[in-house]
Amino acid sequence: MREIVTVQVGGFANFIGSHFWNFQDELLGLASDPNNDPVFRNQCLNMDVLYRTGETQQGVLTYTPRLLSVGFQGSLGSMSSRGLLYNESSPGPSDVVTWSGSVSTHASAPRKKNLFLQRLYEEEQESFSMINGTSSGKSDSQREIQDKDIVEFLDNHVEFWTDFSKVHYHPQSLYELGGLWMDPQEFDNYGIGKDAFSEGFRGEEICERLRFFVEESDHIQGFQFVVDDSGGFSAVAADLLENIADEYANTPVLLFAVRSPSSQMNLRSRKQTIFRELHDTVSFSRLASFGKLIVPVGLPFLNESKASTLLCIENEKPYHCSAVYAAALHSATLPYRMEPVGPTADSFDVFGAVDINGFVQMLAGQARQNTVAILDAAMPAPALNGKQHEQSLLGNLQPLTPEVSEDVEDLQAVESMIIHGALRSDGQRASISEVKETVNAIYGHAITRPMFCHLSVARCPLPIPLPYPSMFGNLVGQYGELLNSPFVGSSPRGSLEVHSIPMAVRLRSSSAILPFLENRLGNLRRYGLQRGALGAELLRNWGFADDELYDMGEMLSKMVSTMKPHSEISSDSD
Amino acid sequence: MSLRVLNPNAEVLNKSAALHMNINAAKGLQDVLKTNLGPKGTIKMLVGGAGDIKLTKDGNTLLKEMQIQNPTAIMIARTAVAQDDISGDGTTSTVIFIGELMKQSERCIDEGMHPRVLVDGFEIAKRATLQFLEKFKTPVVMGDEPDKEILKMVARTTLRTKLYESLADQLTDIVVNAVLCIRKPEEAIDLFMVELMHMRHKFDVDTRLVEGLVLDHGSRHPDMKRRAENCYILTCNVSLEYEKSEVNAGFFYSNAEQREAMVAAERRQVDEKVRRIIELKNKVCSGNDNNFVVINQKGIDPPSLDLLARAGIIALRRAKRRNMERLVLACGGEAVNSVDDLTPGCLGWAGLVYEHVLGEEKYTFVENVKNPHSCTILIKGPNDHTIAQIKDAVRDGLRAVKNTIEDEAVVLGAGAFEVAARQYLVNEVKKTVEGRAQLGVEAFADALLVVPKTLAENAGLDTQDVIIALKGEHDRGNIVGLNQHSGDPIDPLMEGIFDNYSVKRQIINSGPVIASQLLLVDEVIRAGRNMRKPT
Repeated sequence: MREIVTVQVGGFANFIGSHFWNFQDELLGLASDPNNDPVFRNQCLNMDVLYRTGETQQGVLTYTPRLLSVGFQGSLGSMSSRGLLYNESSPGPSDVVTWSGSVSTHASAPRKKNLFLQRLYEEEQESFSMINGTSSGKSDSQREIQDKDIVEFLDNHVEFWTDFSKVHYHPQSLYELGGLWMDPQEFDNYGIGKDAFSEGFRGEEICERLRFFVEESDHIQGFQFVVDDSGGFSAVAADLLENIADEYANTPVLLFAVRSPSSQMNLRSRKQTIFRELHDTVSFSRLASFGKLIVPVGLPFLNESKASTLLCIENEKPYHCSAVYAAALHSATLPYRMEPVGPTADSFDVFGAVDINGFVQMLAGQARQNTVAILDAAMPAPALNGKQHEQSLLGNLQPLTPEVSEDVEDLQAVESMIIHGALRSDGQRASISEVKETVNAIYGHAITRPMFCHLSVARCPLPIPLPYPSMFGNLVGQYGELLNSPFVGSSPRGSLEVHSIPMAVRLRSSSAILPFLENRLGNLRRYGLQRGALGAELLRNWGFADDELYDMGEMLSKMVSTMKPHSEISSDSD
Repeated sequence: MSLRVLNPNAEVLNKSAALHMNINAAKGLQDVLKTNLGPKGTIKMLVGGAGDIKLTKDGNTLLKEMQIQNPTAIMIARTAVAQDDISGDGTTSTVIFIGELMKQSERCIDEGMHPRVLVDGFEIAKRATLQFLEKFKTPVVMGDEPDKEILKMVARTTLRTKLYESLADQLTDIVVNAVLCIRKPEEAIDLFMVELMHMRHKFDVDTRLVEGLVLDHGSRHPDMKRRAENCYILTCNVSLEYEKSEVNAGFFYSNAEQREAMVAAERRQVDEKVRRIIELKNKVCSGNDNNFVVINQKGIDPPSLDLLARAGIIALRRAKRRNMERLVLACGGEAVNSVDDLTPGCLGWAGLVYEHVLGEEKYTFVENVKNPHSCTILIKGPNDHTIAQIKDAVRDGLRAVKNTIEDEAVVLGAGAFEVAARQYLVNEVKKTVEGRAQLGVEAFADALLVVPKTLAENAGLDTQDVIIALKGEHDRGNIVGLNQHSGDPIDPLMEGIFDNYSVKRQIINSGPVIASQLLLVDEVIRAGRNMRKPT
């Protein structure tokens, strides 16, 4: 077994993480329930890759994500930073044992648990009393809080990422940057965050917590790192990554740089635009220099993008947007969680397991050494067979990475495609071999073909947990099948109507990323490097010396030139 | 106003309003922190929205926990936090001193004095006070053997403001011994060489000093000994886990056997390193019943652990980077970066190594070392907030001892210095100053009294009585401080109440600077980026 440590840094990253862990929790729950669809019971996913087994001081066994999450102080809402599992008995005011003098208590108003969290709490109490043999005998119909209300409530009232999280976290997992209360609007650029990591004991404490999870892993396969790179957190993450690169030198890091649509709007003045663009450039190049493979995720207008044609998303709600990205992340990370089978044997449930290192080598380690990958997703994935649909799988795979050019012919492209829970056109689950054949056939007919495509397939679809937002369009059926005629009624469909969906995602290393890279290089040159550039002063304030900026430019232009089709000819054009 | 022409949205506060805004902010902050001061102060229990508890009596922690919005208050808070960074203590004093300076100034300004004149007076008074401090301080000779008693008195003074008496006294010995343990002649003291380890276990009074090291992890193999005596300690930074080579191995084999062969070959390299360690163990441990402990900064995977366990070696993986340094200082030997450097000479020694398990948490004690230069303060407590508070207090105590050794001086505490400095300013300095700057000196002098005043107030005493009594004694030439129990003057020297010289100096230095800056503000303009949010 090869462990993965997940790191989430920043507000939106934690939103995505919350959905991500809800999926895992749902899968765990479905797997242990014997009445369920067999496809969930035989997932052939090894949850131990992401989860750790532990024990509280009272000797209760626990199973919690191997996760380190970093956020603002106060960003945890009603959740205690120590989680609930390892809690000691609740302390009273008499508990001040270190001081014999007077005590003054300053209590901020307790945050009320919302409907969803109340329900979780009740259920837990119930199962606890069931064990003790005093079942209160409340049936579903008697339950005070109805599913419907919860879904509706969450749709309108999510404020913190903990509001819709149903997972128990380990006390070491949730780290708040003490003293950093700022609201995201003020923490919106690289410069503001540049000291946030090193201040006080913060950096040390974060690294300590990371070490806790790494030490107990027998053989760590890599870090799965999600960072909200829209603001100061990218500086925090860059410092943390530098530490990781230092301490765990040979452990690969798969980096997802995510941002919410709302962080990319509201640019009024030219000054703000320059600010933003320089931030994007700086944060990208800093992060890219530490990750073995970086996947930028986050479209500025998610709801209008082609990736969400079957979904109804509200851009302003991080709760919504993060749900899409979390689903894609879940699918993209499946290959390194699959139960490994012998090199010759074939499993009926999964195919194409590969570890993070293999993943990174495959996408970033080939001839071009391109470390930036594009994430495409088809959510939900279309049905497989049937002649008229043959192109639709590739057609439905739309990028979640911004600033990507369409229809590029890149003969050296490398792809990793992951399809899970795919359905046939008659609504039945397709077998592994059917999926393989179909994908082969699609690429056989396709006009542009990548140099290399790795396919991973799992039969288990993406389960939709209760706190998932209602954002499926009215063409999506109960099992994620695409209907020919829409449901009557206009309201978006949520977890009560849709139980699971098939997903297809693709990570590709292709020259389609060129505009993304060129924009960043261009901005750096225009605002930072040129003589008398507008942002030179700003960059200096952010702590970058001229030669650092120059190196940064060098790195970006190298990234660009490796991707240029004619790079061999004009390699030293600089 | 011209700014209005440029930016009609800008909000401008004129001279007196600006001044009063600053003064009020300073007073507000003073009010919040005032009750913290001294051994009779109030401890603050902060309960967060989710029920998380934080206990603090430390101004620094409190300032960090408050969401300060007022720009003036932020400025003061930053100064105070910087005070803590530099000298480790005195945050509360800085804040209340600045607040008091502003309060005194307000009185003068209301009477028509110009802030500029006041500031000049502050500057004169500050310089005079610093000179006075040089004369007033009690020099301490730090030879090869520092005077332990005086260090204990300083540490006790600090700790008693943070913890109840008997616990403070217990910790006093611990922090003093800890600092003396890591102290090396002719070298700056690196407090990082004192490890602070905590266990949520038992009670606060079980906190103790471990001469040696406590690591927060244990061996990861069921067959390794949980307790061993007479141990050689190998401190190393060598990866003992099988790592995939950087090049994608996928292209180098064409069938399953070749792949197996490659994996086996790579595995052999790791095994070889393990074998070298076992060889060394056999070399030093043959013929005696000594034990061998490997503490590695890198990982050790299960097959390697297995080999080591079979050879009777205890192995810990992924040790903290800092512990590498500490281990060498505590046990001797040197840290090894490659198995090629292995010699018996690089081994350290510990009389006892044992493991302690609390739920899923494991601790490894490396004790009974010879001549340690690194040690661990093991903090115990029933819950997290108690532990956190003791930890803060211990940090302050350590800093106080370190400061004393580096300052080679201490200052009489319990408000004695402040009263003495005030009398000196009023009785001698003021006369030498010409003109209205005299009032500035006087304001500064009165502001100094805020420390004994607040101490008295927190102890529930009558401030005026106390101040009059103290002033009287000082005028008679007796240097006295405040007895917090009775309100009577006492001799701090007899009671062993000493403060850090560097802390006091820093307060005297930074307080007037900020106060002067705030007093000289004559316009507050709210414009620019923050305009987005109406306040």
